Amino acid sequence: MKPEEYTQRKETLAGWPVTIVSYRLGTTYHVTVENNDPGAWVVKAQGSTKQDAEHKAITEATGLLAKIKQSPPPNRCTSVPGF
Amino acid sequence: MAMATTTATNSDVLVTTEWVQNHLNDAKIRLVEVDEDKKAYSEGHAPNAVGWAWDSQLCDTQLRDIVPQAKLEQLLGESGIANDTTIILYGDNNNWFAAWAFWQLKIYGHQDVRLMDGGRKKWIAEGRELVTDAPAVKATTYKAQRPDFSIRAYLPDVQQAVKAKAAQLVDVRSPQEYSGEILAPPGLPETCQRGGHIPSAKSIPWGKACNEDGTFKSANELQQLYGGQGIDGTKPVIAYCRIGERSSHTWFVLKYLLGYQTVRNYDGSWTEWGNLVAAPIEKP
Repeated sequence: MKPEEYTQRKETLAGWPVTIVSYRLGTTYHVTVENNDPGAWVVKAQGSTKQDAEHKAITEATGLLAKIKQSPPPNRCTSVPGF
Repeated sequence: MAMATTTATNSDVLVTTEWVQNHLNDAKIRLVEVDEDKKAYSEGHAPNAVGWAWDSQLCDTQLRDIVPQAKLEQLLGESGIANDTTIILYGDNNNWFAAWAFWQLKIYGHQDVRLMDGGRKKWIAEGRELVTDAPAVKATTYKAQRPDFSIRAYLPDVQQAVKAKAAQLVDVRSPQEYSGEILAPPGLPETCQRGGHIPSAKSIPWGKACNEDGTFKSANELQQLYGGQGIDGTKPVIAYCRIGERSSHTWFVLKYLLGYQTVRNYDGSWTEWGNLVAAPIEKP
């Protein structure tokens, strides 16, 4: 199988710049949300439509990235329970 | 064998996706995919590529260490790799763990290892074929060289670099990790107690060495990037990141694309330094 309908675009999710990559492999759409810096994948999702796969990926990535901003400042002791 | 032209200087260690496409059935070549996402290989990989798991097959699973020699020999043997096989590595995240594998294979003296420029993402972006079946492989007996740790930096080497300016340090993490604003790349687990960077380290994020499509920038651009920060190869260099895979990527650039003589990868990286009691940390 060859990947088709490859697209890539930049967006901001929860304040973090990301790249959203999608392509179709057979009947399945694959979507990856990558952080722009350092350039690692954050979330991957699949769906029967591009919209479905993107919705899943963006929803999960937004939730995950939102937690980063809510972390305590790193100059505090990070070994306390609950961090 | 004839190599495809690349934008980088050392085509002995870098091949294009097109070159790989044209050598998929070459018996002297073993294509290996090494991803951060361990599901990626099973979702589809280049034909005849075997898959290696970075966190179980390319490390010591008991100690925090690189893969032991006997385990590497077994992995390569099971992958149908002989000592004279050309190994082509590629993977996700712009070849982070492919570069990590490259570095380890060089520690154990494999002669002919190369990266596929642009990695998995470029292969997919170009609409090249993906298969889900693992290739049938005829096992070999592989004998590794004695490990060459001159390309690896341990904690004392880094401490000496800080104390005596014995080497230049390059922090290849994102600017926000370098500054201590965040403890890990967005979306990845936080694995250290403190944020910031090792004193005197220059911030040159690994991704600056890449073009938009994931391929490496030209030699001139790379020289400007690193030379502009004083990393010009006249002094020993130690690259680090969080766990050593991004810094393998930069190590590859400095050692093989720019030809710097003394470059080491500090795989302990920030997960070691940022957890040390009383280790000095710079934080702007």
